[in-house]
Amino acid sequence: MSFTDISRFSGPKQTVGYALLLGVSSLAMVPEAALAAGTRAGTLIENTASATYDVGPTQISVDSNTNTVRVDELINAVVDWSDSADVMTLPGSTGQVLAFSVTNNGNGEESFSLSTISTLGGDDYDPTVTSIVIDDGDGIYEPGQDTVYIPGPNDPVLLPDASVTIFVLSTTPAGAGDGDRGGVQLIAASRTGTGAPGTSFSGRGEGGGDAVLGTTGGDGSDDGFYSVSAASVSLVKSASVLNQFGNANPIPGATVTYTIVATTTGSGSLANLAINDAVPTGTTYVPGSLRLGSTALTDAADADAGRFASNAITVSLGTVPGGQSRTVTFQVTIN
Amino acid sequence: MLRNLFLFAAATAAVPAFAQADPSVSLASDVMVERTTVGPDGRTQVSLEEPSTVVPGDKLVFVLRYRNNGRQPAADFVVTNPLPAAVAFQGSNDGSAQLSVDGGRSWGAIGDLMVTEGDGTRRAARMEDVTHVRWTFAQPIPAGEAGRLMFRGVVR
Repeated sequence: MSFTDISRFSGPKQTVGYALLLGVSSLAMVPEAALAAGTRAGTLIENTASATYDVGPTQISVDSNTNTVRVDELINAVVDWSDSADVMTLPGSTGQVLAFSVTNNGNGEESFSLSTISTLGGDDYDPTVTSIVIDDGDGIYEPGQDTVYIPGPNDPVLLPDASVTIFVLSTTPAGAGDGDRGGVQLIAASRTGTGAPGTSFSGRGEGGGDAVLGTTGGDGSDDGFYSVSAASVSLVKSASVLNQFGNANPIPGATVTYTIVATTTGSGSLANLAINDAVPTGTTYVPGSLRLGSTALTDAADADAGRFASNAITVSLGTVPGGQSRTVTFQVTIN
Repeated sequence: MLRNLFLFAAATAAVPAFAQADPSVSLASDVMVERTTVGPDGRTQVSLEEPSTVVPGDKLVFVLRYRNNGRQPAADFVVTNPLPAAVAFQGSNDGSAQLSVDGGRSWGAIGDLMVTEGDGTRRAARMEDVTHVRWTFAQPIPAGEAGRLMFRGVVR
């Protein structure tokens, strides 16, 4: 339409009056809020101009026609991995939790389907995703309270600018090695549709307008990562003999000192590491000979780390990080 | 596109007929959406389209056309356009428009206007604070004369 072609105007609706100058303004059909997502879908933008002028002594007021434009729905899903660092895991561990946020950055209420991909490139192993869980609102994974996601029946429905925390639970393969990294991608896709940004779905928007895919194309995704933090322990046991004649011949009455060195390796730590060793047949434990490093341990099951019971020694080392060693010694006599 | 006939009906009923003189100046409003597309040759093309699909961030062009259909000149011609709440003002086509950021109580250029924040502090007004745009004609519009006014906005 040419702007100078006056003859093509639709007939202007004229209202004569004097108080209308500022009186005809826009009305919003849907309550509007100042949000990042913008004007709520379905809002009507109504524009009316007015003019006053004088013809002789008479002031006349005229309103223009009202243009009404309905704001259509813009669909934008944003997914963010929200763990501050790689989630530490161990080979074979189940129920390992990654946390994501799914945010509706569109301007209309929208429901999103959730899915995962664990065959990402650039990582060392593929976690096995066992479930997707919808948080109950506190941001903390609680197996009894949070809802296991089932595609369709409990798709998250989000208002504009609203977000929900989603947990992805995975099993770490037994074969994953220490320091390996495994990624899982969470995808939130608009139930209205996905596709190239700018794709329009006629009449599918909130408030009766169209739905238009925003910059994310109707689906958002982000990758979260696990990091295997394994540790292992190796035990080396040695014996030294000293007999009553001052040499190392293992004759009856000789004292054998056993030394067990536990060495941990890896980036993780070993919890509740304990060293057990049975007293060999044909020997007798020397009471009070148990030591952890240079510290003597009593034989009773008491506050210290060691005890002697059922003809075996036990030393509880607690949680030992990788890269350390502990030395346990005890003595027996040859019968 | 919907037409809000209700508003006109209400306005007509609420305001007593004041001037029975020839209401001879017509005023028409149009809204277009400005689309920027990049053609296959890589050149950017800007086109104005009917606003069939409009989302937050879209640029709107408001065009007001007036015409004096009467036999006498129309003097002291003033056109006022309150901005729809969902539209952030982006400027008028020439420097002649006056702006208001307080619902039409005071007028001026954007650089002369101040906004009082919710906490009482005052700051220089920005384009998106504009609530009304107005054109005041110094010269009467002769009989038969027509023209157009234009301003831009972006959907909030």
